[in-house]
Amino acid sequence: MKPIRLLAIVALIAASPWSLAGEHVISQKDKAFSAKTLDIKAGDKVAFRNDDAFSHNIFSLTDAMPFDLGTYGGGQMKSVTFAKAGKFEIECAIHPEMRMIINVAP
Amino acid sequence: MRGKTTTSGAAARWLRGIALAAVASCGAVAFAEESMRVDGALLPRDSQDAAIFRGGLVYANYCVTCHGINADGNGRAARLHNPRPANLRASDKNDAYIGLIVRRGGEALGRAPGMPPWAEELTDEQIKDVVAFVRSVNAQHR
Repeated sequence: MKPIRLLAIVALIAASPWSLAGEHVISQKDKAFSAKTLDIKAGDKVAFRNDDAFSHNIFSLTDAMPFDLGTYGGGQMKSVTFAKAGKFEIECAIHPEMRMIINVAP
Repeated sequence: MRGKTTTSGAAARWLRGIALAAVASCGAVAFAEESMRVDGALLPRDSQDAAIFRGGLVYANYCVTCHGINADGNGRAARLHNPRPANLRASDKNDAYIGLIVRRGGEALGRAPGMPPWAEELTDEQIKDVVAFVRSVNAQHR
């Protein structure tokens, strides 16, 4: 492959928004999220890892992208990709005191 | 967008506070009536009224998000679930079955997976109490 063609392919991949998507992990431990707020970019994926011995749940009622990841036990992880920008309030249906904010920049 | 989300969160917390206050005030009225009836004695811990009062507090903290302040299945998170949360006012299930659903969750019983298993979070007494509360708001109970 000619160097210039290879360069073009690399440039195309780098320009793709999904290639820049980041991955973040939030721990759920002692009935609390490991962070109160998280700043990410649209297209980033956030994994919620249950580090407790009991079940947790993740849901958000934010209008831009309401979702419910359901209930999952200790040691398990569920993730969601934030395709849209906005301020997302994340909650656990089982532990109402668990709340965090994810700010998604365009 | 940002403001709307914040308002939604604040409203949710406000609603939960109102729910708690409403449940507590109902319980307080029952408590006062019972106190007068027995000439100032405290509500017996093992009475049905005491169980309903305690169950109302459990409900307001854990169940109201999906089942709603009126226990009709229209909580603020109800729209995330299909099937929607049960209308507890119209439930035809007996106490034992309601207790089982609360304890083991919907999926274990072949019902809606959106209902979490609460046995890890709630004590046996709390589950018994919340069943008493659900029974007290159930139309078929009256």
